[in-house]
Amino acid sequence: MTETMNRNAKGKRPHFYETPALDQMMSMIMVLASEVSVLADHVDSIERVAATNGLDLRAGIAALVLDQTALETREARRQAMLDRMFYLMRKEAAEAAAAETGEGYSSVIAEIAVG
Amino acid sequence: MLNTFQQHFHDALPSATPDEAARQEFAKSLKQFVQQGILPGLGPVYKARATARFERETGRAPADRHDIRKAMTPDPYFQHYAAVNRISQELLWDSVIDSIDRDADAVDAQAKAGSAKNKGELRIPADFEVPRYVSALDIHCMPGGYNGRGADTDGVRLGALYDRGVYLYSMGYTGPDNDDMGRSVCNYIKRKLGGWTPKRILDMGCTVGHSTLPYKELFPDAEIWGIDVAAPQIRYAHGRAGAFGLDVNFAQMNAEQTAFEDGYFDLIVSHIMLHETSGKAMPKVFAECHRLLAPGGYMIHADLPPFDLMDPFTQFILDNETYYNNEPFWGAMRDLDQVKLATDAGFPPETIRFDTAPMAVMEFAAQQASGYSQEAADAVADREFTAGEFAPGGGWEVLIAQKAAA
Repeated sequence: MTETMNRNAKGKRPHFYETPALDQMMSMIMVLASEVSVLADHVDSIERVAATNGLDLRAGIAALVLDQTALETREARRQAMLDRMFYLMRKEAAEAAAAETGEGYSSVIAEIAVG
Repeated sequence: MLNTFQQHFHDALPSATPDEAARQEFAKSLKQFVQQGILPGLGPVYKARATARFERETGRAPADRHDIRKAMTPDPYFQHYAAVNRISQELLWDSVIDSIDRDADAVDAQAKAGSAKNKGELRIPADFEVPRYVSALDIHCMPGGYNGRGADTDGVRLGALYDRGVYLYSMGYTGPDNDDMGRSVCNYIKRKLGGWTPKRILDMGCTVGHSTLPYKELFPDAEIWGIDVAAPQIRYAHGRAGAFGLDVNFAQMNAEQTAFEDGYFDLIVSHIMLHETSGKAMPKVFAECHRLLAPGGYMIHADLPPFDLMDPFTQFILDNETYYNNEPFWGAMRDLDQVKLATDAGFPPETIRFDTAPMAVMEFAAQQASGYSQEAADAVADREFTAGEFAPGGGWEVLIAQKAAA
């Protein structure tokens, strides 16, 4: 008996989009959606387990008033997340500012190669 | 009600950690959303823009399901529908494999313990050849397929994968034991065949015995055999029946040519098997049914309705399974004249007909059976139904024929 099960179904997988990479992107997005859903279910479980043990987390969360420190911390975390999410746009702007181009990159390769 | 029937956690079923269960639940939710939230938009998209583009490019209107496929595949709405539908299928199997891999020894042991309780026979021949129509592709994209490859064929894990996976695939619509097709055909026999009680019943292409077990429950004195070409399914089926406390025989056999003697059975059934055979095999299956039936015995196949009963757009939607879900015979089977096949096999033409076996979930809900609720049954039966969804609310299509009396 094999240690783990096979995860690849036999049979050529069709492409649904003109750009094959999009098929992979969509599958990643769906997997991420699945993981978000798992976390949401987990948070729901935490609240329900706490409630059966006499701790009404849901009401506590609803009543929670954030002080300035908490507001700052959260805002910083959200901005950092967005920064990570849009790292390619940041890179694009930086390239524009530095006038970096594909041709420039190629010329560096050629230049470095010269003995 | 959105989340209808929950699978009954019998002793052979793999357990799931909370996160595994949440991933499985998400795959099921995604499938439901694709069918209820995205699928209904395909009709308007086809009418509003895909036909126009096809006419512009070819100078004529789409004539049949193949033209409609050409018109639809470049459309981004259709692409998202088909891509996400396929992905939901892949996530579904993957989410169950997580559970089986984590707890593989327990899955094996549970099935073994179930088998020890089942007094029915378990017959796995040493030199069995799995037909190509089952081994060529992993049907409905289940990794390993029914029978597996190499060492996978030895155990029960692909049966366990199928048991949980099919529940997720059908989104619970076939009841807590995934057995509504079997229950519905049993009910049909009780109601429509004049109080006739079969004594020996054969269920062809039974996989893990979802639809087989209701026959034991509703005809407890009958000798019941489930056969399938895949050993892992048959082994698991035997253990699963034991976990249900039922004595049912299971054997690895090919429905085209079984090992039973002439006239052994008075009822032969199958549930969603025929569309997973082939153009060559299906006439042989019908002929084998005729050979195996005692005079006056019935053959009942619950499967997909023929295409000639549907408009081309509906045919196109249903035919997506052929192209995108590793179901090579799904479309071609619906083009066959099944009444003629049954006639050619020897069944008197006046006994052959298509009929509908009403879904049994309604009835069991009314009886407040364990795991059933009226609300869940109503939600399944009364929902807005779009062709291409799993399980029409009303009932299952059956082909029925009776062997001539002696």
